[in-house]
Amino acid sequence: MAKEKEMLASDGHVVGNGLSKKEIRAIHMRNMNKEEIAYLRRKEAMEKVWPVARFLILFGLCFIILYPLMYMLSCSFRAQEDMSDPTVMWIPRHLTLKILSQTMDAMDFWKTLGNTLLLNIGCSLVQVVTCAITGYGFARFRFKGKNLLFGIVIMMILVPNQIIAIPQYMEFRYCLGLQPIIENAFGPAVGSKFNLIDTPLTMYLPALMANGIRAGLMIFIFRQFFKGLPKELEDAAYLDGCGPFRTFIQVMVPNAASSFLTVFLFSVVWYWNDYYVSSTFFTQNATIALMLKNLNTLLSIKLFNSATVEISPREQILWMEAGCLLAVTPLLVMYAFLQKYFTEGIERSGLVG
Amino acid sequence: MKMPYERRKGLYGYGFIALWLVGTLIWFLYPLANSLMYSFMEVRPEKGGMQGTWVGLKNYMYVFTVDQNYSKYLVSVLLETLWKTPLILIFSLFIAVILNQKFKGRAFARAVFFLPVIIATGPVYNIINGDISKSGASSAGQFSTMFSTDLMGELFQFIGIYGLSDKMQTMVETVSNNIFGIVWNAGIQILIFLAALQNIPVSAKEAAQMEGATAWEYFWKITLPYVSPMILACLIFTVIDSFTAPDNLVMGRVLDMQSDWQYGNAAAMAWIYFAIVLAAVGIITVILNQFIYYEVD
Repeated sequence: MAKEKEMLASDGHVVGNGLSKKEIRAIHMRNMNKEEIAYLRRKEAMEKVWPVARFLILFGLCFIILYPLMYMLSCSFRAQEDMSDPTVMWIPRHLTLKILSQTMDAMDFWKTLGNTLLLNIGCSLVQVVTCAITGYGFARFRFKGKNLLFGIVIMMILVPNQIIAIPQYMEFRYCLGLQPIIENAFGPAVGSKFNLIDTPLTMYLPALMANGIRAGLMIFIFRQFFKGLPKELEDAAYLDGCGPFRTFIQVMVPNAASSFLTVFLFSVVWYWNDYYVSSTFFTQNATIALMLKNLNTLLSIKLFNSATVEISPREQILWMEAGCLLAVTPLLVMYAFLQKYFTEGIERSGLVG
Repeated sequence: MKMPYERRKGLYGYGFIALWLVGTLIWFLYPLANSLMYSFMEVRPEKGGMQGTWVGLKNYMYVFTVDQNYSKYLVSVLLETLWKTPLILIFSLFIAVILNQKFKGRAFARAVFFLPVIIATGPVYNIINGDISKSGASSAGQFSTMFSTDLMGELFQFIGIYGLSDKMQTMVETVSNNIFGIVWNAGIQILIFLAALQNIPVSAKEAAQMEGATAWEYFWKITLPYVSPMILACLIFTVIDSFTAPDNLVMGRVLDMQSDWQYGNAAAMAWIYFAIVLAAVGIITVILNQFIYYEVD
C-alpha cells in the first residue's frame, strides 16, 4: 500500500502503521545519536531565525539603494517653498510640475535626449561589432606577438582616460597633425575645417576602431566568451568549406547573440554615463550627462539671465534632483525591460569561469 | 603556393585584430607615449600641437617636494582603497550568498542590488553621493542627516560599549558612515560572485549535505574555494574602479593641474599614481594566486 511505503523511514526502519506524525518523529529521534540531534536542532533554529534576519538585512540595504531615487521623485514634484517647510519629509505639500519643466527647459531636454540617444546607440553598435571582431581574433587564432598585443588590451583596461585625454584632444584638434599641413597648402579657410573638436566624430572614430569608452573591457569579455565556444564548431565549418571570416559571421555570431546584447547594453550605459571623455571633446553641452554636470550654471542663466546669480543651495537641490531624475529615467526604463540581459548576460558572457 | 593551414589561420588572426591595432596605435599607444613624454617636459599648447622643452625629472621633483596637496591626497586615496576594497569584497560576497538563496521577492531584491551598476558610473552618482556625504544646510539638509549623524556612536552608547579605544571607534564610524559608498560600488562584484556561486556543482553541495555540514562549514569549505578565482577578479576590478573614478582626490588634483595648463606636472602626477596602483595590483595578484583554488577538469 502506498501509505505503508510512506511510513518507511529513511534509515530503513519499518515504522508501524497508524502512528501520528509526532510519534514517527519521536521514533526517529530515538534512533539518532546526540550529534545528529544537535545538528537537527541547530538547523531548525537557523531555518526559523534566518529568514527574518535576511529580510531585515535586505530591506535595510534596499532602502539605502532606493533612497536617492525616492528622494529624486519626491523633490522633482515639489514647489520651492516646500524646501523650507519642516513638515515636508517625503510627500510634497504643493504638487507641481514647475521645477521639472524648468529643468527640462534648461537642459533643452528633448533635443539633448535625441542627440544623446543617437550618439550612444550609434557608438555602442559600432563598438560592439569592432570589439567582437577583435575579441574573436584574440580568442581563436594563434599568431606571433599575440600575448604582447593582448597585454595592450589589459593596459587599455588599466590606464585611466585622464592620462591620455590631453594628447587625444590634440589629435582631434589638429586632425592627427594633418591640419597644419593642409592650412599651409590651402590657406586658413580650408584648414580651420580640419578641427574635430565638438563634432560627433570624436566619439565615433575611436569606437569604429575598437578604442571607445571601456573598449578594453569589451574586447576582454568577447575574448573570454569566444574562447568558451567548442572548437568543434570551427572545425565543422572548416570542413564544410567556410573561411575564417564566414565562420565568424555565420557560425560564431549567431551563437553569441545574447552576449552581444549584454555588451551592447552595458556599452549604452557607459556612453550614457560618461561625462569625462565627452567633456574633453565637446565644448557645448551635447549630452545629457554634460547637461547635468553643468546644470547649476545653465539654471542660473535660464532663470535669472545671468550665470553668476546664486540660488540658495537648499532650493537648488530641487533642480539638481529633477535633473538627476531626468537623466536616470531613460536608463531605468531600459533596465526595467531588459533587466534579464543585464544580469544573466554577465553569467553567460564567460567573464566568469 | 600552399601555406600550412595553421599558418594561414594565423594570418587571418592578424586580419581580425587589424582594425583594433590601427586604432590602438592612434588613439591609445601614441597618446600614452605622448603623455609619458609630457611628464618629462615643460609643455605649452601652441598652434599645431604641444610644444615642450625637456626638463628631465623636474616635474616629478615638483610633485613630491613643492606641491602640498598631492602627497596628502595620494596617501589618503591609497588608505581609503586599502580599507574599502576588502569591505566591498566581503559585503558583495555576503550579499551574493543571500541573493543565491530561494525566498520570496528574490527577483525584486536582485533587481535593486544591480541597480547601482547602471547608475554609479555617471554624474548622477556624484550628485546623490554629494547629497548624502555632505551634511548640514549646504546640502540636502534634513534628509541627509539620516546618514551623516553619528548613528554608530549612539548605538554603542545605547548598548553600553564605552571601553572601545578612540581609534577603534573612529574606524567603525567611518565604515558605517560609508555604507552608502560601499553598497553603491558593489553592484558588479555582487553580479560576478552570484554567477560564480551558481557555477558550484550540485554534487559538491549534496556531498556536503550528506556529511552534515552546517551552513558555516559549507561556506568556508565549499563556497569560498569555488569562488576564490572570482575574488581575485573582483579585487582587481574594485581597485581599478576606485582608482579611475573621476571623483577620486588624486584624479581631481590631476584634472585641476590640467585646467591650470600645467600639463607636464599633471602628467607626472598621473604617471606616479598609475605606477603605484599597477605595482599594487601586481603584488596582490601574485600573493592571492597562491591561495586560489582552480578546479582542474
